Amino acid sequence: MQPLLELRKVTKEFPGVRALDSVDLHVDRREVVGLIGENGAGKSTLVKILAGIHRIDSGSMLFDGSPASFRSPRDAFNHGLTMVFQEQSIIPTLTVAENIFLGREQEFLRFGVIDKRAMNAAAEVELAKVHLDCNPATKCASLDFAARQMVEIAKALSLDGRIDSDIVILLDEPTSVLERQEIDLLFEIIKELKAKASIIFISHRLDEVLQVSDRVYVLRDGAVVHETASTEATITGLHEHMVGRQLDHEYYRENKQRELFGESVLSVRNLTIEGEFRNLSFDLAEGQILGIAGVVGSGRESFARCLGGLLPPSNGEILVDGKPVRLNQPHQAVLAGFGFVPSERKSEGIVTGLSVSENMTLAAGDRFSRFGFIKFEQERTECQRWIDRLRIRTPSTKTPMQSLSGGNQQKVVLSKWQIFGSKVAVLDHPTRGIDVGAKEDVYELIREMADQGVAIILLGDTLEEVIGLSNSILVLKDGEVSAKFQAPVGAKPDQIELISKMV
Amino acid sequence: MTEKQKELLRNLVPIFTLLALVLGIAAFEPGFLKPANLVTVTADTMTLFLMASGATFVIMLGSIDLSIQAIASMTSCILAALLPMFGGTALLIALAGGATAGVLSGLVVNYFRIPSFVATLAIGGIMTSVAFWASNERSIYISDEDKSTWLNWATGTSVGIDHEVVVGLVVLATLSAILSLTRFGRLVRAVGSQERAVVASGINVNRIKFFAFVISGLMAGLAGIVMAARLGSGSPTLASEFLLPAIACIIVGGTAITGGVGSIWKTFVGALIIAVVRIGMTFVGITVLAQQIVFGLVLVIAVAMTIDRTKVSVVK
Repeated sequence: MQPLLELRKVTKEFPGVRALDSVDLHVDRREVVGLIGENGAGKSTLVKILAGIHRIDSGSMLFDGSPASFRSPRDAFNHGLTMVFQEQSIIPTLTVAENIFLGREQEFLRFGVIDKRAMNAAAEVELAKVHLDCNPATKCASLDFAARQMVEIAKALSLDGRIDSDIVILLDEPTSVLERQEIDLLFEIIKELKAKASIIFISHRLDEVLQVSDRVYVLRDGAVVHETASTEATITGLHEHMVGRQLDHEYYRENKQRELFGESVLSVRNLTIEGEFRNLSFDLAEGQILGIAGVVGSGRESFARCLGGLLPPSNGEILVDGKPVRLNQPHQAVLAGFGFVPSERKSEGIVTGLSVSENMTLAAGDRFSRFGFIKFEQERTECQRWIDRLRIRTPSTKTPMQSLSGGNQQKVVLSKWQIFGSKVAVLDHPTRGIDVGAKEDVYELIREMADQGVAIILLGDTLEEVIGLSNSILVLKDGEVSAKFQAPVGAKPDQIELISKMV
Repeated sequence: MTEKQKELLRNLVPIFTLLALVLGIAAFEPGFLKPANLVTVTADTMTLFLMASGATFVIMLGSIDLSIQAIASMTSCILAALLPMFGGTALLIALAGGATAGVLSGLVVNYFRIPSFVATLAIGGIMTSVAFWASNERSIYISDEDKSTWLNWATGTSVGIDHEVVVGLVVLATLSAILSLTRFGRLVRAVGSQERAVVASGINVNRIKFFAFVISGLMAGLAGIVMAARLGSGSPTLASEFLLPAIACIIVGGTAITGGVGSIWKTFVGALIIAVVRIGMTFVGITVLAQQIVFGLVLVIAVAMTIDRTKVSVVK
């Protein structure tokens, strides 16, 4: 049978890089195709070509058997290719229904005016498809992040039934901001959709890809290096194809996990932010790693931001080395000894316009200047030492930050707090959106930091990561601690135990 | 083309533009290339450069200062009004007046958290009123005696070089050093590039912004003093036509209006470009009244060329 979507020898070059190198790929009708690859493997370029944002240099794209070249995402949509992007395209000031039908209001025009009732009714139908129970007339700003993601998916699905041809739905990292429960729901939805649509599923979580796809393509350095039926694939096998080498040591470096800790560094007493979390209390010692688990809306993100000085607490006490500290401003948090690694690396973690070394010494600048003048040589030497130690791939200390890959950027962010000498590292999704190889380097670094006596608070990208790395785990549910787990090597709690306390 | 080559090109375009314009005029009027004439042209440009030099810091933050022409006019009035009474101290009072205007802009931006274009527009209005009040709503003549005693550093000549050029080069060197060698300068660039990340790194961003506005006010004040010295009078409307060219020369030099990218020497080159364009227009026969049209167009084109589109995905 003729595939619904087919790419033949597609090549795309950007100045200096061949982003896609003669890629052959096809998607059959009613098939779920998984697409995996490290960052920089060419996934996003492929997505952008399908979406009509980039044009192909050579090769061809066929949709429903006939050559296709989409001029814009709207054009792709009208042809039957719809997508859910990693970054949300929901407009917070519009209602759920208005977002779903953005740009297609003419369907609901009556005497030149939008028939809101009809639009809301149609939106109800779309929302039912994603099992999202909300009023289509509510403003998206009042929805939580996960619900917005569901609206995003509903928006993409609204194509179904509106055009004659079969449709392809492209899901680009749809699960990265969702928690387990919502992911399960999404997979249910995908199964239902399969009855009428083809799906391309992109994710860096290999287990999810295997769970949901019929067939998997592995991209590396712009080329398809492996194609397999999901039933014949294993996570380790796919992983090796992705990174092009074998996993040589234990993923979460559990052999390096400390079990004995130093002095107590941090005491949190009844910490509260109204509407976010209540009465959080715990102690943390030098070299100890505390994982925080919880679904979106459990208050864990706000807690991390609170320790970073970005969300002032409304109540409670924080003591560092036994002395109470105030965290109303980020600079107070930094001086108190907190080093916050934000989940949004590109907007809060790095300063794109600065060089690698300038980013590294951003927090510790006082140490590298005298009477306000920068001590360039000392700065360069120290930064080069960290670059070597963390295996940061950069041509020099002066390289602009934006030309580094995500993983290397994240290492720079981590080194910033190491150079400053933070006592407590608050890591909010430190491995979000970075490739597998870089993840391992980050895990290695986290272990090293613990060895040096840094107390670490970790919000993991996956539950597996939290369990693998932490000494103990706090589970948050609706803003309160619902459980505490010890996680020594060999006696780690399993995911099911944690999940049961999360929901 | 690599990023480095692009960067190099971005740096060279303004310089080649300047050379092309100079040679273009020289083709009509070979005398233009005489060293003495080039020095004079540079001297004439320095008040514009001084005004734009401090504002470069503000623009590099991604903010803007729309009060510089009002500040310059105000300090010209303060200087002219107070010279007969206080002598050299009047210079310091005028400079302090410029710095104070910057302080006010900085405070308004930081504590009321309103965009700089509104804050500096408002402060500029206030400064204009101060100028009218200080000058009794008219021009104030500076006596030749006061001028030669107190303002020779700005308008005199040594070994054939106009002092304006010396003042301009000293400011160029000092501000360049601040921007590229100090932590403050680096943080100005950082804030303009990615403010949220700078905040999350524990930097007091308000302090950086505050001092950028103070430098801008101080330099606009200095520009007002030099203008008054050259013209021999202070007036509340002395610099009113200078805002557009001043912003234009910052951008034409290659500093991005979106912040994060720029330098003082770029503004210096930009100021010379604007000056040469102005002279060129006179050659071609464009009346002074229509010259703002050209500056407006130049500004639009320069902004379009230097703007960082990744930061401005939506235009409002």
